[in-house]
Amino acid sequence: MKSSGRKKLVVSLRVRLLKALLPPVAALLVAGAVGAYFLSLEPASEAYDQALADVGIALAERIRSEGDTVSFDLPRVAEQVMRTDKYDTIYYQVRRPDGAALAGDAGLPPIPAAQEPVEGVIAYDSEYGSRKIRVVAQLVPCGGGTCTVQVAETTNKRVKLARNIVLSSLVPELLITLATLAIVWFGVKRGLAPLEDLSTEIRTRSARDLRPIDPAHAPEEARPLLAALNQLFGQVAESSRNQQRFLANAAHQLRTPLAGLQAHTEIALAQSESAAAEGAPEGYRAQLEQVHRATIRTARLANQLLALARAEPGGYRADAFMRVNLRAVVEDAADEWVHRAMAKDIDLGFELSDAQVSADALLLREALANLIHNALEYTPAGGHVTVRTGLRNDDPFLEVEDDGPGIPEAEREQVLERFYRVAGTTGTGSGLGLSIVREIATAHGAQISLHAGAHGRGCKVGLTFPHG
Amino acid sequence: MRILIVEDDAALASGIARILEGEGHAVDVMATGEHAVRGARQERFDLVILDVGLPGMDGFEVLRRFRTGGDHVPILVLTARDALDDRVRGLDLGADDYMAKPFAMPELAARVRALVRRSQAQAGPKIVHGPLTLDTVARRAQLDGEPLDLAAREWAVLEVLLARVEKIVSKEAIIQAVASWGEELTPNAIEVYVSRLRAKLDPANVKIRTVRGFGYMLEEFREKKAGR
Repeated sequence: MKSSGRKKLVVSLRVRLLKALLPPVAALLVAGAVGAYFLSLEPASEAYDQALADVGIALAERIRSEGDTVSFDLPRVAEQVMRTDKYDTIYYQVRRPDGAALAGDAGLPPIPAAQEPVEGVIAYDSEYGSRKIRVVAQLVPCGGGTCTVQVAETTNKRVKLARNIVLSSLVPELLITLATLAIVWFGVKRGLAPLEDLSTEIRTRSARDLRPIDPAHAPEEARPLLAALNQLFGQVAESSRNQQRFLANAAHQLRTPLAGLQAHTEIALAQSESAAAEGAPEGYRAQLEQVHRATIRTARLANQLLALARAEPGGYRADAFMRVNLRAVVEDAADEWVHRAMAKDIDLGFELSDAQVSADALLLREALANLIHNALEYTPAGGHVTVRTGLRNDDPFLEVEDDGPGIPEAEREQVLERFYRVAGTTGTGSGLGLSIVREIATAHGAQISLHAGAHGRGCKVGLTFPHG
Repeated sequence: MRILIVEDDAALASGIARILEGEGHAVDVMATGEHAVRGARQERFDLVILDVGLPGMDGFEVLRRFRTGGDHVPILVLTARDALDDRVRGLDLGADDYMAKPFAMPELAARVRALVRRSQAQAGPKIVHGPLTLDTVARRAQLDGEPLDLAAREWAVLEVLLARVEKIVSKEAIIQAVASWGEELTPNAIEVYVSRLRAKLDPANVKIRTVRGFGYMLEEFREKKAGR
């Protein structure tokens, strides 16, 4: 989830940048092409017009004027030379001052009325037959009037020229555009590399590590983001500290009166025992025993709820985890449990080897207490409970096995849920014990497993810790 | 025995007081650390039960003042907090034992007895455990008033167990305490000594319990038939 989300962010940043860049770059491309077209077409076109005009000048020199009589004489060979062109068909026409055709291709369109001659020369676009032509007309004095010499050609050369101009400007511009987009694409990736480093750092840190991130190595642009993150970290850490303070206070405020209550019910019980010996009614004592049992259960429940809260994120400090030997945790707590086992006539035994884990010793002790408590609670008198620690395939483990009634396979998942109790059990449990164990396992990255014990009897609950 | 209880919760303090009075002790209750420090200067107590979570001067500070003042009275620390640090800190500051609230009164009574016994053992050469008496100076043992014949190593093992009644003593700890002759001792050898001790002590109802895979525990002495 994390990594795909991160990738999506990067892709969308790139896409967004490209989307923003593409229209202006495309517009620039078009504008560049159009600009180049007009800028280079004009002079090129003028050069072609000039060539036509030169032909016109040559033709004009062939006009002979004798008084009012105007004649035109072009040798056949010269006309053939003049009409020779690789791409276009050349037309010409010479008109007398009265407009009558003197020579050449009849019916070339006349000079448009709106156009004024510049130094006796007019160039214009027109059509001849169905073909587009370019005409250059010259006004030449002759026989007391003005003769018109029109030289025209089809526009193949010019179209070809225009196409060449557009192509020769478009190709490099397209290449530049593609290069720009590519640079943006990879540039964004490179530019975001420090952000990726940052997200790797955040991703690989423990979920409970709330120390601020050092902004020294972060890019300038990421610092506001980092500052916001650090602020959030600070708030979470603060609320976690509040929770820890609250738990410490709640523990104190709950346990002290419970201890007092327990003390007095025990005194009352002891007194009722001697009172019963003197013949006092029995019912009073039975009620006192109920009160006493309820007190013990309440005390245990209070402890469990506190343990559960402490095992939740924010309830403890992961950065305060220490090297803990599972064996030492069990040995420390053994005294307490051996006495309870003795009171129930259960053989509580140990098979302990060293097993180092990184842990909160208090939470481990709590997990162990719940495991042993459950085993003692549900194992009948004369039964056996065995606590083991050590390494299995290099992984540290802690396990408690009993030969009591066990947990039906179908219910093994459910017993890890809070307040779930196996049907038909008579214990006084709250249904919290194993869910506390699971929370604590989770906090330590440990796996919890439930199996039947040896020979398919009883129950074996194990915690397997990450090694190292 | 004269016992001082320093606990600000009146209900708990009076409960503990009544239990201990029932065991034949004289009990004083003080609700603040300041009172306790002052009181201990004026009077001599055989044992102090000290709550860590006192208002004002907290239990650790009281403990520190006792110890830096050169008072070596046995101190049993009570705490309602579940930080193991509390326990370590308490023991570092010179507490003799530690209990987390809430606790069962018989357990408190047993701890008090153990502490009293320990301070008495330090005070004199005789260790008494029900019908069993060990005179550590004369190196003579008695059971039910009769002389008890113990081999040197049986004596040594028994002494280790007597020092920690109701506590599990691991086989390794016994070996370390007993093997001061500079020779190797196997856990099997310890088993042999313990079974010989059992044969001698069982008839008088002095019980050494085996804690499977761990070690042994000398149970608190109970009269026959007075079981729980």
